[in-house]
Amino acid sequence: MIALAYQFDWRVVTDRWPQFVAGAWVDLWVAVVGFSLACAIGLVNALLRTSGMRALSVPSFLYVQVMRGVPLYVMLVWIYFGVANITGITFTSFQAIIITLALTGSGYTTEIFRAGLSAIDRGQMEAARSIGLSRVHTYGHVVLPQAFRIVVPPLGNTFVGLLKGATIMAVIAVPDMVFLANELNVTLFTPFEVFAAVAGILVVLVLFFSALVYLLERRLRIV
Amino acid sequence: MTALLLAYSYDWSVIPRSAAFLERGLLVTIRIALLSVAFSLVLGLVVALIRMVPGPIGLIGFLYIQVFRALSLYVYILFIYFGIAAAIGLNLDPIPAGVVSLTLLNSAYMAEIYRSAIQAIDPGQREAARSLGLGGIGTFVNVVFPQAWRIALPSLVNQFTDIIKDSSVVALIGVPDLMYQTIERVSFYHRPFEFYTTVAGIYLVMVVIVAQLAARLERRLQRHLA
Repeated sequence: MIALAYQFDWRVVTDRWPQFVAGAWVDLWVAVVGFSLACAIGLVNALLRTSGMRALSVPSFLYVQVMRGVPLYVMLVWIYFGVANITGITFTSFQAIIITLALTGSGYTTEIFRAGLSAIDRGQMEAARSIGLSRVHTYGHVVLPQAFRIVVPPLGNTFVGLLKGATIMAVIAVPDMVFLANELNVTLFTPFEVFAAVAGILVVLVLFFSALVYLLERRLRIV
Repeated sequence: MTALLLAYSYDWSVIPRSAAFLERGLLVTIRIALLSVAFSLVLGLVVALIRMVPGPIGLIGFLYIQVFRALSLYVYILFIYFGIAAAIGLNLDPIPAGVVSLTLLNSAYMAEIYRSAIQAIDPGQREAARSLGLGGIGTFVNVVFPQAWRIALPSLVNQFTDIIKDSSVVALIGVPDLMYQTIERVSFYHRPFEFYTTVAGIYLVMVVIVAQLAARLERRLQRHLA
């Protein structure tokens, strides 16, 4: 009976539009910071993986399996509640979600960088080495710039995945847009409007970044 | 406070004591994941076929994929379980709500996997089948799909690992899955580290098993090509 009496009241959303934008902004910057860290870890890890030394490549492989195999939600509560309890290091909820995104994301970025690095023809490296470039310069000037073009589209997809994943931060009370929607829902009981607004914002953000990745991919294409 | 932290000692014995709860949760997780993967395999194929129809019908498939891939599972679950329930009175139980959310999200991903596999089939195959007198449907069922299926299967199984992982989020609406049981036990014993580490391990094992299965399947399906 209550359901039949449901009155749509979109003013709940329109009146609080700045709050929703501010909430979405939190999701966005947390995803950006987490993604940047994931890229840094992933690049280092991929270099270890492709180093050819088993002592380095085996731990790197195991790291990827674990990071990709543990659900984001489990990772988040493990870091926020579990690790804090055992080590006494209490992360703020912001730190916890950023670390979670960085760790989970780095599992994916490692594989992407590895694929990018191994797609570069060996001849390129041999040629650079034989004209006297050091190993560091060979990577810095020859291998990485070429690998970069290859990794941009999949990295873009990883970023979109992390942006979606970032919305889980509401469960540890980071005031993002989902947290705001939950708050409004329990105080005003307007679940449809607030969650539709959140879904709408997320669709717009994700489609925007997907389009951006597509454009970047076309620009970077050599042929 | 410091004394309390220093005094923290691991007590893993809570895990075997909670084994029955975790097992019950694990069975729910497996059931949800299997149901979702079955539904999204079917729905994904339908969406992929709609997507490949030229004209406005194809556009519907395209929009479905774009929109349904763009939402996170958490937002889906909140919207379906609370939003739609309140607005139109469709009161789903937690488990169906979770399965519907997982299916909507993953069918969009699977549609793209199917599409790329179907498009990877040489057009000559289709032309040859048509010129032998097979109809449009006969060509698809007997010639194109069996080949596309081999290409798509490893990626589809990999998608299954994502479903297993994502399914942990359904605990938030009270589905008594592995994650939910774990959270319950954590608040009972106050042993977050032990429980969350164990549950991470269980998910990891499930994902690794499924991923290995995918890798083995891929080799098996490619055998005739070698």
